[in-house]
Amino acid sequence: VRAFAEWLYGTAPSVAIHSTVWLVRLLQAVHLLTAGVVLGSGVMIALRAVGWQRADEPFATVWKRFAPWLASSLAVMVATGIAQTLGDPVREFTATSYWVKLALLLGCVAGTLLLNRAARRAPAATDFSSTAKLVAGGLILSWLAIALLGRMIGYDLAIWGSWSLRT
Amino acid sequence: MSVQSILESIQGSALASFMRDTNPAMQIVEATHVLAAVMVLGTVLIVDLRLLALADSARALTRVSRETLPLTWVAFGLAVITGSLMFTTSAQTYFGNPAFQWKALALLAAGLNMAVFQSFTARGIATWDLGKPTPAARAAGLASIVLWAAVVLLGRWIGFTKGYDFTIPPGVELVFPAD
Repeated sequence: VRAFAEWLYGTAPSVAIHSTVWLVRLLQAVHLLTAGVVLGSGVMIALRAVGWQRADEPFATVWKRFAPWLASSLAVMVATGIAQTLGDPVREFTATSYWVKLALLLGCVAGTLLLNRAARRAPAATDFSSTAKLVAGGLILSWLAIALLGRMIGYDLAIWGSWSLRT
Repeated sequence: MSVQSILESIQGSALASFMRDTNPAMQIVEATHVLAAVMVLGTVLIVDLRLLALADSARALTRVSRETLPLTWVAFGLAVITGSLMFTTSAQTYFGNPAFQWKALALLAAGLNMAVFQSFTARGIATWDLGKPTPAARAAGLASIVLWAAVVLLGRWIGFTKGYDFTIPPGVELVFPAD
């Protein structure tokens, strides 16, 4: 992975990004702002499934309110994340936090879609099953962890110690 | 007691030493600060979009606020605690950093915006709670989004300046280690 990352670092798109300081800062800034929207929307959907937010509203209404914001901000967050990875692949690929964050992000997207699927299949007045609520609880923790891990990428050795891929 | 001596005593405190010398205390606190800051932004945005009538138009503003703002306050509390802990490590440097000063100003303006809204703009809320907010209320919503986004971005900017503010002389290349 390190060899691939080092090769990637030397490619033209990577050089174009990491040699342009303002672009790196712009990417980080946009990534951070969209992380706020992703976190807010994702957590609200999961909190509704658990029943701690907007329990008076059908899940479909909450989904209609937050899913478009989640999807669009997630798209920008992923795009700026890919650009940052391309700009500094060695730093990203050799960080345990990066891979855990990526896995959690995929899990959150899949889990959120599964919640919506479960809601659409269930009769209108039915509450979520205990399993679905458990998944939603896991999603809340995972969305929070994603934001935490994003910053931890820079401190991989200090955070993960011997578990860090940088060792 | 001068500001300088207060800053010196903060920076020289046992808590500051703990934060500086205990690995990975600073890293965990900083990551938690980022998490709290984006959570504040994400939840404040929900209320602000309702104020701008861009979302939740069928839901009363008071209800959206009542449901969402407790999350904002929890996140804000966490941000204040972690931010204060970070501040202790280099109080003098942070205090003199323009990005930090601008962030503090944006934070103050965001608080002022909220106070003005609660004290004056929201007085007649019963008449527009379920409808389109007044122009003053919408202006407060827009100002809130801009100010909280500025708080987050200026916070990031402090990191770019590494806690210092100086111009790197031409021809001098600084290499920072990855960790």
